[in-house]
Amino acid sequence: MSNAIDIQDLVVEFPGARGGTVRALQGLSLSVARGQVYGFLGPNGAGKTTTMNVLLGFIQASAGVARLFDEDVRQTIARRRIGYLPEHPDTYKFLTGRELLLMAGRLFGLPRAARNARAAELLALVGLETAGDRRLATYSRGMLQRIGLAQALVNDPDLVILDEPASGFDPLGRIRIREIIAALRARGKTVFFSSHELSEVERICDRVGILAAGRLVAEGRVAELVKAGGPAVAGGPAVAGGPAVAGENLEQYFIRMVT
Amino acid sequence: MIRILTLAWIVWLEMIRRKDIYVLLILLAAFLVALMALNLFGLDRAVSYLKEIGLLLAWLCAWILAVSISTRQLPQEERQGTIFTLLAKPVGRAEILLGKWLGAWIVTSAAALVFYVLLALILALRGGGFGGMVLAQAWLLHLGLLAVITALGIAFSTRLNADASAVLTYVVTLAAWLFLPRVPDLVLTARGAAQTGLMVIYYALPHLELFDLRRRLVYGWPPAPDAAVLWALCYGLLMTAVFLMLGWLAYRNKRFTRGAML
Repeated sequence: MSNAIDIQDLVVEFPGARGGTVRALQGLSLSVARGQVYGFLGPNGAGKTTTMNVLLGFIQASAGVARLFDEDVRQTIARRRIGYLPEHPDTYKFLTGRELLLMAGRLFGLPRAARNARAAELLALVGLETAGDRRLATYSRGMLQRIGLAQALVNDPDLVILDEPASGFDPLGRIRIREIIAALRARGKTVFFSSHELSEVERICDRVGILAAGRLVAEGRVAELVKAGGPAVAGGPAVAGGPAVAGENLEQYFIRMVT
Repeated sequence: MIRILTLAWIVWLEMIRRKDIYVLLILLAAFLVALMALNLFGLDRAVSYLKEIGLLLAWLCAWILAVSISTRQLPQEERQGTIFTLLAKPVGRAEILLGKWLGAWIVTSAAALVFYVLLALILALRGGGFGGMVLAQAWLLHLGLLAVITALGIAFSTRLNADASAVLTYVVTLAAWLFLPRVPDLVLTARGAAQTGLMVIYYALPHLELFDLRRRLVYGWPPAPDAAVLWALCYGLLMTAVFLMLGWLAYRNKRFTRGAML
């Protein structure tokens, strides 16, 4: 069975400010097996967003291959089985929450009855049943984040890509997000998300990958990584940051890897 | 096809929930009512005058709407960030382009229909009217014209922001409207590269004058031959396809990045 995400030797270059070329990703290779909750970590500017941009077809890689369920990400069909929640879910403010979900359902080609049922189900899932027929212009930031999550799940995706999913939520919302991710994992779905909330990542992720300066510097199960300093990525660059320290938590390990 | 229609539906919903279209409608109605109150050249002449000014206003309003709606669709998606949730779905860039164009065209065509109906009603109140067949031909050709203008606006907006695209679309359509019919005379007197340049411009820019039946409406002339109307519509379809194709070529590999590139 193929992986949910397969990235091989991915390079992304773009023009620099002084006419040169800047390499945002420098030969990134990464695989995410089906059914995993994968935390994609790294400091600002490490290349997390660029990787997501490639996976979602926003930009094309300069070199290398990226696949979702064995489909090249450059093909539209690759996005049929994924759901995406951006960090700041921007929506059509003139639509109601329900209309947004119905629109998303139509874009995925769901039949009318299935669309209507799915919209009602998702509004209930994210706790917006009573606000579903209000215009999005009247929603608070947290509500927008929740409707954004609902639209990401409209096609019952096999892979959910979440960019800083907890950033717009209050503590109760974060608990709800955690429950939703756990429920997705229980149903065999793959969740790939970036976050700066390392305690959150430690709690819910099966595996994490740590990115620094466009390279994967560490990858593995959270418990393995933090236990005895953990393994850095096989064949990867030498890890700066000093010797392994037994018993450290993910945050300490992360800081050691990226500094 | 359902994805293209869905995107067109979004454009439609946005327009009927915004105020632009209603402002133009109210302005047009107010102008026409004010004109109706005038009686400058005696009763008979005033109806022709009303037709001429009314049609000009309807054309101006439809032109403004077509340019402003079509040129803001794609830049707005980028500015608001909605392009990211759209591209993360199985929607091709060609479908986005076509959906946006179709939505803009449907909205402006519907607005043009309302303008024509409003004008016909006001004329009827004044005891005048249009020939039914000529009116149908004029509206049909006006749809062809709006298809070309909206496609041009969409094409420019694939790489430019909304304001720059709107200015360029206004300039190109105005040049096509005012300058192009005079090019054959200029070609006769020009020589060498200037002549070639004029010929290129003549064939590259859309001939908007082909879609204009206002004189027939104003002076009560008979309908245009069906074949001529059909040819003009085919030409409009061709120019629309050309502009959309150019837009797609510019859009298909465009990079969309959230925040910083890294």
